[in-house]
Amino acid sequence: MQPTVNATVFIVDDDASVREGMAWLLRSRHVVSELFDSADAFEAMLHAAPAALQQGLPTQAGCVLLDVRMPGQSGLALFEKLIASGLAHAWPVIFLTGHADVPTAVDTVKRGAFDFCEKPFSDNALVDRVEQALALSQSRLSARWVQVERQSRIQELTERERDVMRLVIEGLPNKLIADQLDISVRTVEVHRSRVFDKMNVKSAVELANLLREM
Amino acid sequence: MLHRWPWMNRLVERWGFLWPFRDRRLYLWVALVGLVTAVLITLVWLAGRYEASQVQATLERDTGDAVNDLRSGLMRDAQELQALHTQHPDAHTRLSESVALLREHRAWLRIEWRDIAMHIQAAADSPLRSPTFEKTPRSNAHNEVVQACQRARRSTGPAYSSSYFVPLANGLGIEVMDVCLPVMRNGELQGFSVVTYSLQEIMNERLGQTFARRNEISFTEPDGTRLAIIGQHGRGVRIFSAQQLLDLPGVTLVLRMEGRRGAPDLFPNVLTALVTAMSIALVSVLVLLVKDSRRRLRAERDLADALAFRKAMEDSLVTGLRARDLQGRITYVNPAFCQMVGFEAAELLGQKTPMPYWPPEMVDEYKQRQAIRLAGNAPPREGYESVFMRKDGSLISVLIIEAPLINVLGEQTGWMSAFLDITEQRRVEEMSRSTQERLQATARLATVGEMASLLSHELNQPLAAIASYAAGSLNLLQSPQASASRQTWADLQTALERIAQQAGRAGKVINSVHDFVRRREQDREAVSPQALIDAIMPLVQLQARKLQVQISTRLDDKLPQVWCDRTMVEQVLLNLARNGMQAMDAPECRPRMLQIQVRRAASNENKQWVEFAVIDGGSGISPDVASQLFNPFFTTKTEGMGLGLSLCRTVIEQHGGHLAFEEHPPKGTAFRFTLPAPDTRTTH
Repeated sequence: MQPTVNATVFIVDDDASVREGMAWLLRSRHVVSELFDSADAFEAMLHAAPAALQQGLPTQAGCVLLDVRMPGQSGLALFEKLIASGLAHAWPVIFLTGHADVPTAVDTVKRGAFDFCEKPFSDNALVDRVEQALALSQSRLSARWVQVERQSRIQELTERERDVMRLVIEGLPNKLIADQLDISVRTVEVHRSRVFDKMNVKSAVELANLLREM
Repeated sequence: MLHRWPWMNRLVERWGFLWPFRDRRLYLWVALVGLVTAVLITLVWLAGRYEASQVQATLERDTGDAVNDLRSGLMRDAQELQALHTQHPDAHTRLSESVALLREHRAWLRIEWRDIAMHIQAAADSPLRSPTFEKTPRSNAHNEVVQACQRARRSTGPAYSSSYFVPLANGLGIEVMDVCLPVMRNGELQGFSVVTYSLQEIMNERLGQTFARRNEISFTEPDGTRLAIIGQHGRGVRIFSAQQLLDLPGVTLVLRMEGRRGAPDLFPNVLTALVTAMSIALVSVLVLLVKDSRRRLRAERDLADALAFRKAMEDSLVTGLRARDLQGRITYVNPAFCQMVGFEAAELLGQKTPMPYWPPEMVDEYKQRQAIRLAGNAPPREGYESVFMRKDGSLISVLIIEAPLINVLGEQTGWMSAFLDITEQRRVEEMSRSTQERLQATARLATVGEMASLLSHELNQPLAAIASYAAGSLNLLQSPQASASRQTWADLQTALERIAQQAGRAGKVINSVHDFVRRREQDREAVSPQALIDAIMPLVQLQARKLQVQISTRLDDKLPQVWCDRTMVEQVLLNLARNGMQAMDAPECRPRMLQIQVRRAASNENKQWVEFAVIDGGSGISPDVASQLFNPFFTTKTEGMGLGLSLCRTVIEQHGGHLAFEEHPPKGTAFRFTLPAPDTRTTH
């Protein structure tokens, strides 16, 4: 599964007019948004979503516009949960704050929030940041998915193939690998080519790089 | 018990081993009683002795008198006999005369006349009794007579014979004595006349009337043999005797007088009775004295206990005590007071104004206060506060409670004062007050912050929405391909509607704030001006004490109540009072007097007004300060925010009143504001 290009902005704010105004502004820039009137509603959506999403691996790029002060669960509490589940990494979080919350918002940025936007001045500058966040989300998700794919390729290797791969990336020549595993050089070569096939690489150097990235 | 008598203690210390401990007092009592008894007995004995010696002396004197009487009697007899011769030379008449003489003198038994050769020539016997020489006839040569006459012849004067016994006819006998008198004529001896005396009768005649009543009188031989005796009193036990010699020419007789007296009474005379009575009285008085001294000792001990208790109490008191006489001199201080001011008692006693513990800058004020006190004005019962300076120069706050010192006679002798060191208390109060003020300020700020935060949130929401719609609309309008489409217009319309809607919402938020302010009007109530002043007074007093400012309040009689938001107006009053006191917080500013006055202001039929004035004696307000005094954020204080006066004016104006200030000659500033009385038409 590849992430789709249609990224979504999740707006979490208790005030309907703010939500709708924001959505309207985003739509004027052709950005799709989804609205939630509380942190709990947003969480409910996450729970209903596929397991991959819950594990911090959404299928589409996204960005969360989160109001700090809300009745019920506050924006900060929700942010903590998103960090814990890893979703905050995939979907950057932009805080919407009033004047008094600025120090809090600054603090959240230090802890991984993408940015904060001081109400009431939410205008195109915000939309610009949203688009940047979406792009970031897009790139992060792509990288994540590549990784996931490689992981699944490693999963597909047999036990012997994995042993061979381990020794290959250590830089041992086939003969030594054969000695160590107590198999013939020929067999090593067969495993080696199969590993290269499965891992979709052409050389041992490429394989080593790939594994290091993981 | 013993220790009450110190002398006894000493005695017991020295001799105590002689007594069993418990019986010591008993022994002493016994000794005392024994001594008194001994003295009594001695006195009685001495009195008896004295009495006996008196009796003896009387007896001696009587004896002497008796001897003299006898002698003079005998001399007179001799003269009479002599006279008989010279007057009656004739023997015959002489004989008849002699009978008369014999009748006259019972003691004369016989008169005889003898010649020179001692021959009896004539004799006459006493007619009162039978003739003496009846049984034994008188011889011429009677030895005793012859000897007496020889002596008489030699001495040519009467001479007496020694006594001799003459037996009588009735078997008895009498002791007699002769006296021989020479009869001379023309210088020649003619013969002798002899008179025979009965010794018994001599005593009867001469002494019987006087001495024989009480005594037994006898003539005795030198060896004690009784010759004649009169007066017999045999009843007494005690015999007193005295004897005297009766010297007569030719013979010496011993006159013995014996007095018998009864056994002496227990109280033989007044003296001993008196002495005894006095002794008994003495013992009684002694007992009473002992009792009295015991009671006195107990009282003394009680008194000493009470004194010690009082002293201990005064010494251990943490309250300082000081007494002054009517001239203001210190007459007494207790240790707590000394400790409080850091001076020794000796340094304080006798001191007059100014006291050493008065801070120099307060001396004038305190002198004035003392003068008022000495003039007889009673201080407030609840006491007043003052500031003293310790010897080391540090200042202490004290609470003084003063009362007139009344002596036993009910006269005032001075003033008694109690002092409580309230420095610490003041400091704590001061601290808690400033803490409280800070807290209040913080709380106010927090409230303001809270409100601002709420307000900004409430306003932020619609404004954020408006901003969003506006920015979005602009986006649409700037987009070339979208600007013409119908959809775009519809979108723009929606956006503008939303903007209008959100603007209206923001307006409502503002209105609600205004409502909140307006709602306070409903908190207004009718309050008496006195209640307003009373409410702020504790806080004002606190600061007044700190800045040494005197507060005077003056309210007109029968002031109407005022219609106000009590909390707000109190805040205004407090603000003005604090400003006033701070205006006087300069070292040269004296006296520091803050006046708070309330009076009726100009009113009309519909509305009554009450004017409050807060007047300080500070340096006044300069014109350039005055011009911007009510501007918000203008302040002359380093710590002020400059909101006080502007808020005050706002509050007063909200009440419909007016706040203004003016110069208050000679110096200082008066802030005046008016408040309405409750509307009589709407309130009952």
